Amino acid sequence: MATADPSGVVMNLPRRDARDKLLGRTRYTVDRMPPRMLHAAVLRSEVASARIIRIDTTRARQMPGVRAIALAEDAPGMHGIGIADHPLFASGVIRFHGEQIAAVAADTYEQAQAAARAIEVELEPLPPVLTMADALAPGAPLVHPDWKSYEILFEGGARGGNVAWEATVIRGDTDTAFARDDVVIVESCFRVGRQNHVSLEARAVIATYEDGRYHIETSTQVPWTVRNMTAKLLGVPASQVHVTVPPVGGAFGQKFDCTLEPYAAILARKSGQPVRLVYSRQEEMLTCLCRENADIKIRSAVTEKGEIVGREAVVLMDCGAYGGEQIFLTTMTAHTLGGNYKLGSIKLATRAIYTNTPPNGAFRACNGVYNTFALERHTDEICEAIGMDPLEFKRRNVLGDGDLGATGQVFEGDVLGSMLDRMERLREKSPSKKHLAGDRLYGRATVVGTWFIFVGPSTATINLNADGSATLITAGVELGQGTMVQALPQIVAHELGIHPDDIIVRNADTDAAGFDLGVGGGRTTVSVGAASVAAAADVRNKILNIASELLQTRPERLVLRNGRVEIAGIEGSGTTIAKVVQRAHQVTGPVVGSGSFTNPGVPAMPGCAAGHFIDAIDIPVFNVHDCEVAVDPETGHVEILSYKVVQDVGRALNPRAIHGQIQGGVTQGLGYALHEEHTIGEDGCIRQDSLETYRVPLALDTVPVEIDLYEGAPSIGPLGAKGAGEVPIMNPPAAVACAVARATGCRVQQTPLTPPRVLAHLLGREPAVELPHIADNWWDNVLTKPKTQ
Amino acid sequence: MPASTGQCLYVATSLSDAVAALADRGPAGAPLAGATWIMRAPIRREERRSSYVGIGGIAELCAVELTDDEIRIGACVTHARLIAALAGAEGCDGLVAAAGGAANPAVRQMATVGGNLCASDFPASDLSPALLCLDASVELRTPGGRERMPVGRLLDVRCTLEPGTLVTGVVIARKSLRTGHARLPLRKAGDYPVAIVSMAAALGSDGLVEDIKVAVGSVEASARRWPQLEEQLLGRPLDPARAHELAKAGAGVFAGRESVEAPGWYRVQVLPTLVRRAAQAALAG
Amino acid sequence: MPTNLVINGEDRISSRGSMTPLIDVLRDEFFLTGAKVACREGICGACTVHLDGRPVVSCLVPLGTVEGRDVRTVESLAVAGEPSPLQLIMEEHDVVQCGMCFPGILMVLTSFFQERPHAERDEIKAALVGNICRCTGYERLVDAAVALARRS
Repeated sequence: MATADPSGVVMNLPRRDARDKLLGRTRYTVDRMPPRMLHAAVLRSEVASARIIRIDTTRARQMPGVRAIALAEDAPGMHGIGIADHPLFASGVIRFHGEQIAAVAADTYEQAQAAARAIEVELEPLPPVLTMADALAPGAPLVHPDWKSYEILFEGGARGGNVAWEATVIRGDTDTAFARDDVVIVESCFRVGRQNHVSLEARAVIATYEDGRYHIETSTQVPWTVRNMTAKLLGVPASQVHVTVPPVGGAFGQKFDCTLEPYAAILARKSGQPVRLVYSRQEEMLTCLCRENADIKIRSAVTEKGEIVGREAVVLMDCGAYGGEQIFLTTMTAHTLGGNYKLGSIKLATRAIYTNTPPNGAFRACNGVYNTFALERHTDEICEAIGMDPLEFKRRNVLGDGDLGATGQVFEGDVLGSMLDRMERLREKSPSKKHLAGDRLYGRATVVGTWFIFVGPSTATINLNADGSATLITAGVELGQGTMVQALPQIVAHELGIHPDDIIVRNADTDAAGFDLGVGGGRTTVSVGAASVAAAADVRNKILNIASELLQTRPERLVLRNGRVEIAGIEGSGTTIAKVVQRAHQVTGPVVGSGSFTNPGVPAMPGCAAGHFIDAIDIPVFNVHDCEVAVDPETGHVEILSYKVVQDVGRALNPRAIHGQIQGGVTQGLGYALHEEHTIGEDGCIRQDSLETYRVPLALDTVPVEIDLYEGAPSIGPLGAKGAGEVPIMNPPAAVACAVARATGCRVQQTPLTPPRVLAHLLGREPAVELPHIADNWWDNVLTKPKTQ
Repeated sequence: MPASTGQCLYVATSLSDAVAALADRGPAGAPLAGATWIMRAPIRREERRSSYVGIGGIAELCAVELTDDEIRIGACVTHARLIAALAGAEGCDGLVAAAGGAANPAVRQMATVGGNLCASDFPASDLSPALLCLDASVELRTPGGRERMPVGRLLDVRCTLEPGTLVTGVVIARKSLRTGHARLPLRKAGDYPVAIVSMAAALGSDGLVEDIKVAVGSVEASARRWPQLEEQLLGRPLDPARAHELAKAGAGVFAGRESVEAPGWYRVQVLPTLVRRAAQAALAG
Repeated sequence: MPTNLVINGEDRISSRGSMTPLIDVLRDEFFLTGAKVACREGICGACTVHLDGRPVVSCLVPLGTVEGRDVRTVESLAVAGEPSPLQLIMEEHDVVQCGMCFPGILMVLTSFFQERPHAERDEIKAALVGNICRCTGYERLVDAAVALARRS
């Protein structure tokens, strides 16, 4: 591994925030307590569906310590992604168990809680729809009877009744493909549950209201979304909202939305005091914006030689009571379940379904994780049906240079195929752990996955200081992923010829930095990185121009290195960057550069995709994972014996940091594969309300992941980099499920593979997942109508 | 959610002080030792009592005494202390394994023997089945004086004890026993077990089982013995494979509890395996 | 009734109610925010402190039970600003990500290594069963701990 070398961009730069985090000195949002701070508590619904008859706060207002109460009338706006369907407080109706009815600020948290409990709420219960099957049944009650009246924020998705959004892909003629007499038709059904992020820092905010503006200090991934959504909900100009972000204690997509910030903002304005709102672990468990539960049916027509001539699939995503991120994520089925393999023809329908359950959200690699599980298990079922080795099948079918993706985008480079070769070498290098299985059942699987980098707008400003240091100003956030303290300073330092330690990275502040889509989707290194490179180039040009005058040399002959401007090839010929900046102060003024980036836009095949927010992916990211498992036939326990990853990283700027992301992401994925699941009770409440019943992986549950970073795949990212933190979670459920299916000979259709579920499989008592609410005829599942020929 | 701070804790200075304080408080009061169960009441959405009497600092409740005839464990002995005191003591392997597998290291520093036996809504207690199969007795102070009862009896009556009653300790008669404790958490790393089998066997010089107690925890709401299996294991060598077969045939006497962690059938289904593992552990000990 | 306790070697008096969890006293009254509140159920370990030298989850310790006792928090591990060997090795191995779990992990391992300075990998992992880390996948922090055990 390269040691820190200021002249090269690739290095294992240590984290500058590690020391204080280890000393216990880092002040996360939950650790901040401004003087006169009030504590807020939220009153939540304890039924899943009801009409609100009356809310009476008279008694609550008289409770000790109470300073302000916020209600639906304080937040007239609606928010959402694609459709503005979500009010801040339940307004007129309750749509899920846990829905916010009111918020109270008081001198102490206990007082705020007591007052919230003292608010009288009279409800008329309504019949809830708790499952997607119920929601799609004829005559089902509508979660949003007024869905037609909602503001549309993004055009193109089909909607209707409890179908919040529908995205479809139609490429080629699947009818003809399925009718061929030389194909085997394989149909598979899958079901997955919800996954909770369990960020150790719960969602937390401190809001103040000063000089007519809201200052929101919050634990978020998306400062600009918080700014804009808060303004929209409160019905105030966005310029009145100022968002800053302290170090964030884990997020994983949970904090990729505006959630609790507006409550604190309203209460701060009403009370005139700073207001802190921190969700309890129980609130986090019951309302956390999970990775959604989903039902998936896939059919494929495959020739004996393993050519996939046709594929049809329907994916139902439970968005809960409000559309949220799931509306956007309907897009990602095309690029995940429709990814990995060459397809002759395809029809995909992805539908976000309203239910009276807590809303779901974004979670690291989102629906890519379960779509990959479904796709890879389906692939194994295909291989069984045609009698082909799954690895051989993958080699023949993975997307290569010039191949078409589901929406007809043309992929560049033979990436997945070479990555399979690299995995083979990794497997050869490291002997199988089969002997550790002992008397247990043994299984192994190698799986592939396709994900993407969520590019889009970012901006950066760099001030080059007279002491030779530089200040990088972006709206990027340090969540723990390391980008803000490793990749970004490395990139900027490389461009400016100074050491990364001399790059000061400003914490996100919407008053200081321009618009940014936020930290998520593996985009920080790429989008914020590209904007930073552009800003650095701007700075670089300015210094070179000044230096050129100082050194009496053309700018093209100058290089920036080790904090100096040198004439190329003549060491010591130049001067320090600091001196050039000091000179600039006299002739042009201080040196500042700015840069911007957005999605370059890769074309899809016209007319293929409907209702998609992204028709084609700008930067694909590929994975190959390999897993060995042992299954205890008596108890159903699955033990991971070994785990290997070949990951497409473009260029590894900080290999050690990427390894850390892969180990962590794989572990979260193993949790989802094996233990982690939220289910909904008959009352519409999530049943696992604590870390006792919601089981995340512990130290003894992990194995060291063997890692090979695959470099060189095409990327428009800075220096050829791709985001590396999101994608490691993509494949573990697929790898584990395929390995368990092979070990046990059972048809694995569901995750997590808890001991009771695996044992039920082995005993033949696990009911098959059949999904009667997904029709056999693909057209019967969609609002979209066939185009008349 | 931070716990409500309205309740009051009185820290007793001696056993008699604690007994008097509990008598004073009547039904409004309850003893508090390791606090790990009571402090989590808000998470279980339970109301706390208005008054607690802290007993964790009372020296005589925190002692483990080993004599030739018996082992006396104070009610406020923590899991960690129990492990330290009994590690290597004959016949205690099962109990030490039970204490060592429970919860996590920090909670084991806090949670006590008395608390584990008295938490009536905690079916996954590790110590209950371990003490049941050791035929332990429980000593109590009641408003009327002292009482002693088998641990199984305490598990039956613990919800209906007279206010002011305090469990002061557990007594185990010392015998030459082979003991084993097999617990099945759902995660490899461990958590609350979904089923537990604890076993204590007295083997004759010929290797035959002269006496055996088998207790099952976490499968039903409260731990209990498995007399039918005990009967079948008597008079023969302790053979884990045979014990497994017998348990398989007889596990139907348990009605597994349904919970969010695991279905009832699963808890019963894994019992034969745990019986075999407990027997293997007993023989290895 | 006020409670007297010794926190990181200093005599302190808390006026909070006797059933108040120790973690809230440390954080809200004495601004020792190193220990974190993450679950309040004794499972995640982020609030671990030493009570009379032994690791406890401070979310489950009622203030009233710590009268006169010695409490040490993560803030006490560094002496005169100099990180402890355990803190240094975690830093060297680039273990930290979001960092929320580390105060608890450090307190658990500090006390564990006092008893088992040469512990093996699996013992270290078992000692951490009461600490949830959601970022790192544990292995690297265990690597660092193993390296320390070998060094000592």
